Amino acid sequence: MLTWLAHILHWSFLDSGSVQTALLVGGSAAVVCSVIGVFTILRGYAFAGHALGDVSSAGGSASFFLGISPLVGFLGIAGIAAVSLEFLGVRRAREQDVATGIVLGAGIGLSALFLYLDTTTTSTTGAAVMVMFGSMFTFPVSLRGPAVLTAAVALAMMAILYRPLLLSMVDPELATTRGISTRWVGLLHLVTLAAAVALAALSVGAVLASALIIGPAGTAVRISRRPGLAIFLAVVLGLAAVWGGIWMAYESYYWFAGNAWPVSFFVVTIIFLSYLMSVPLQYALWRRIAKPVRMAANAGG
Amino acid sequence: MGTLRRRRNLSDLPYRTTLAWSLLGVAAILGLGMAQAAQAKIRAIGVENQYANVIAQIGGQYVQVSAIVSNPNTDPHVFEASPSVAMEVAKAQLIVRNGLGYDTWVKKILTADFKAQRQVIVVQDLFGLPENTPNPHLWYKPGTMPKVAAAIAAALGKLDAAHRRYFNTNLKKFDASLKPWYAAIAAFKAKFGGTPVAVTEPVGDYMLEATGCQIKTPWTLQAAIMNGTDPAPQDVSIQKRLLRLHLVKVFVYNQQVTDPLTASFLHLAEKSHIPVVGVYETMPSGYSYQRWMMAEVKALRLAVTHGISTTVLK
Repeated sequence: MLTWLAHILHWSFLDSGSVQTALLVGGSAAVVCSVIGVFTILRGYAFAGHALGDVSSAGGSASFFLGISPLVGFLGIAGIAAVSLEFLGVRRAREQDVATGIVLGAGIGLSALFLYLDTTTTSTTGAAVMVMFGSMFTFPVSLRGPAVLTAAVALAMMAILYRPLLLSMVDPELATTRGISTRWVGLLHLVTLAAAVALAALSVGAVLASALIIGPAGTAVRISRRPGLAIFLAVVLGLAAVWGGIWMAYESYYWFAGNAWPVSFFVVTIIFLSYLMSVPLQYALWRRIAKPVRMAANAGG
Repeated sequence: MGTLRRRRNLSDLPYRTTLAWSLLGVAAILGLGMAQAAQAKIRAIGVENQYANVIAQIGGQYVQVSAIVSNPNTDPHVFEASPSVAMEVAKAQLIVRNGLGYDTWVKKILTADFKAQRQVIVVQDLFGLPENTPNPHLWYKPGTMPKVAAAIAAALGKLDAAHRRYFNTNLKKFDASLKPWYAAIAAFKAKFGGTPVAVTEPVGDYMLEATGCQIKTPWTLQAAIMNGTDPAPQDVSIQKRLLRLHLVKVFVYNQQVTDPLTASFLHLAEKSHIPVVGVYETMPSGYSYQRWMMAEVKALRLAVTHGISTTVLK
């Protein structure tokens, strides 16, 4: 039985250095993205999250050209884009999509330039695929520390922002009377979102970053409306998608005679399928649970 | 509406005539220029600079050769053609290109600008290789260049029949100059055949096979690094084991196709004291094709006999 399991699971999986780094860096990205994703969806910033991912590709492609860590590149450009989004008037609903779309275009234009410079002046190969679609198995070991640190700082930030952000989302007027600056809270949320986007872009690529941010969180928000439970569910789903994707990509080596499929494909597929499954689950849960809960709440009140 | 339309047409008319005349003028100047060029030197392009070097050796004083892909710090697999390159290609009378997906952009330029009298040599087609041939780096194969050189001599003879004998003499000289390289390969094979080696990508594989080396790196890893796709962790583990446990005698490193992963292999090889031999997609500057190939075999031999690295050819 055990040998059969070992054969199916290929125990060498956890021995590989590339897999360990991918699990650690990808796992950090999954946790941070899932937590921040819940707030991003509740605030209606899903498109802004996607745009930040696309824009950050400029940072990723510049990092190859400048010879710096891709994490620094992604973080820098996503941070700048987040601040510009806030100041370009992202808060007025009608202008939000326009400002976001314009920043997005400018960012991708820059990455077109940097990718051109990469191919014409450096020996870097496959920079475009790496920046746009990620390449988790090529992470250098030196990336582990900075990635985990970025994730820790972003999570600490979300812990501080948790209450003020929720309050300013639910009731901005009450938040203002309590002395909360909704503008600052909004800006800090966007900057933290930029950090999550940078980690996601590094792991699954700039184009697919939004899948990691709104995917697990979107599924969780469908199932639970309580923020705490939604965040917990999102983290579980995010980790399952990233770690499951890494494992399946590793296994696919044996399915296709050594031509393993890309990790990002498996991660995004798992995210998509779990979102699909959440739709019937949502109806089933609401029909079964909503009524008794409401009755219990009434009885309690 | 009606007046607006008429006015626009009126102002268009002289403009169009001027445009037509100036286009005619440009065409006349271009035609004159091309006629003069044909009388003088033959304009030839070796898309990769190793082919340009061979054209220069065969054509000598009657040919003006230029290369397009020659920057030793970039990866030719991802070369992007600029409009000026397209112009240069369009003007050439003889073009030698590798084929096998290595320089598809040239094919596109040539199809867009077809000229019947232009001589095009595709090395892939000289050997009738199918499009899915996995390793495109044909210039490292000992049998490649003599056939390419012969095709170049024949093409030059067609373009400039008066100097056909001159080209054929140069062809014989070129073939003779390859002899020391062949001898070095044979000597290496006789003495060190079966030497296990690791590589990053397949650029030097044809020469390694000719020298009887055993390439231990999995093909799927070489292909992933060459194509810039995700490498499988299993393959990476195999490669790291080869280097860490000293299961290979030489690490052959492509200087022009690098990423964080190849850099980590290089670091590991240096840490394990495995000699490194640098190989190139295009001819390094200061070399001729023969001297370059000879230098690679010498570097390989130095690595095996004395454990000396030749990471960069100088």
